[in-house]
Amino acid sequence: MKKIKVTQLVPGMRLAEDIFLPNTNVILIGANKELTVDVIRRIEAMGISEVSITEETEEDSKEEKEKQLIPLLMKNHERAVSAVEEIIKPSSDYPLEEQVIRGLADDLLAQVEVDSSLLLNLTHLKRYDNYLFSHSVNVAILSILTGEVLGYTREELNRLGVAALLHDIGMMSIKPEIWQKQGSLLPEELEEIKKHPLYGEEILKAGNFPEEILAVVREHHERCDGSSYPYGKQGKEISFKARILGVTDVYDACISFRPHREQMTPQQALEQLLAEKEKYDPVVLNAFVSVMAIYPTGSLVQLNTGEVAKVIKVRKNNPFRPELRIYYDREGRRLEKPLRLNLAEDKYHTLYIDKTLPAEEHRRIMAELADDFV
Amino acid sequence: MNLKADLINPFLKAAFDILRRMGKTDATRGQLGLVSSPVKGDEVNVAIGITGDLSGQVVFCLSEETAVKLASNMLKGLPVLSLDELAKSAISEFSNMVSGNAVAELGSQNIFCNITPPAVFVGRGVTVSAKDLDFLLIPLHTGLGNVRIFIALKESDS
Repeated sequence: MKKIKVTQLVPGMRLAEDIFLPNTNVILIGANKELTVDVIRRIEAMGISEVSITEETEEDSKEEKEKQLIPLLMKNHERAVSAVEEIIKPSSDYPLEEQVIRGLADDLLAQVEVDSSLLLNLTHLKRYDNYLFSHSVNVAILSILTGEVLGYTREELNRLGVAALLHDIGMMSIKPEIWQKQGSLLPEELEEIKKHPLYGEEILKAGNFPEEILAVVREHHERCDGSSYPYGKQGKEISFKARILGVTDVYDACISFRPHREQMTPQQALEQLLAEKEKYDPVVLNAFVSVMAIYPTGSLVQLNTGEVAKVIKVRKNNPFRPELRIYYDREGRRLEKPLRLNLAEDKYHTLYIDKTLPAEEHRRIMAELADDFV
Repeated sequence: MNLKADLINPFLKAAFDILRRMGKTDATRGQLGLVSSPVKGDEVNVAIGITGDLSGQVVFCLSEETAVKLASNMLKGLPVLSLDELAKSAISEFSNMVSGNAVAELGSQNIFCNITPPAVFVGRGVTVSAKDLDFLLIPLHTGLGNVRIFIALKESDS
């Protein structure tokens, strides 16, 4: 139990003691009641300046459970990244064995089934030095999640996962000095990079991969408006799974740390996709947004009541009402312990996300919260 | 009880504000009217209950075309092809924001209310009723089409 000022009350906190009507023994608000916006306003209006709150909330046990899952998922993610590295590095034995990659895609599918939104957190936070390999795993996770919304069967999801894990394998045919280059590329280097979908197709052909997967690898850089490479294909000329990768590949590239440009926030990455929506399949974009939500996992948002929180979990088809972890009260003071709150719960409907924080503030706060993982 | 302007203005103000910021459109108000319950809705209708010091209902009615446009703007320009689950959630959230915002404003007048989660009804022929209450109709003309807001409110017993 601890005493705090009424202005520090945040929805979701619980009172430790009853609040009485002034000068009476009539209980106005009972102890242990979870505070909603209207109750907080009522307490304020009564002129009370301090109240006692309990420090444990019901959400804590949920939080504990998830915290235990994180190291496991992280380890699996790291393992998947090194497996991809092993498999697609030029040093390994080409031709590739489709069976091995299918196994890897199956592992990812199984993890998606455990807790997809925790996994999404990992794609946001786990930034490896070995960009190409972690990027392949992240694109596979994002693509599988998008495919799920589109109603794909497990078998189809597996093929989509395989294609995503291998989509950049053609980079291995390009000198590492080029694809690892810091700073901008020379025109001839860029031309070489633009060949990686075709190089990838060649490698997979040698491994007897089905045409469906070859098409995804070959076409993952094509855009619906015909603006991209290698062939400038448009709309339906591009295979559907390649159109899925078109979205997930760009999103993950945007939120990744890259030496030649500033890392985008999840919100900026989403806005970037929507700003160039003519490049993407609208059905895919819709499915992607219903997975990522309009405030993607990892976004920092401000509530209409002023608190600042991080989006930690989004639910399919409920893009505006994610689960949050509140870090700052409405006057900008850091909470001693972050408070978890699910905006989808009935009692919190007077609360809504008013805006995301500008990128600069996002970065500053993320640095401040660095110790707090998910 | 007659609906006092003090109780209605917060909803009007909130609707203008949310339409502008989230719906990316300006709005003007048409002639207010009193409509007896039940009211006939539009193609897309969202009902939100008000509980607390006041009790009643707020209903947002719009055509499917307007709803799809509003949903797209709420979803940061996502191409919305039909009134699917995602689009409906955007329209719900719009109604939710307007009501939540209005209730907050009422709080500053020492009237403390909460709102219930939005319920979306799609299809012509939807009627909405409020027990023993008339609805005040606020017609709004926006760049996306018309949005009609029906409000029925009374002071809660006890």
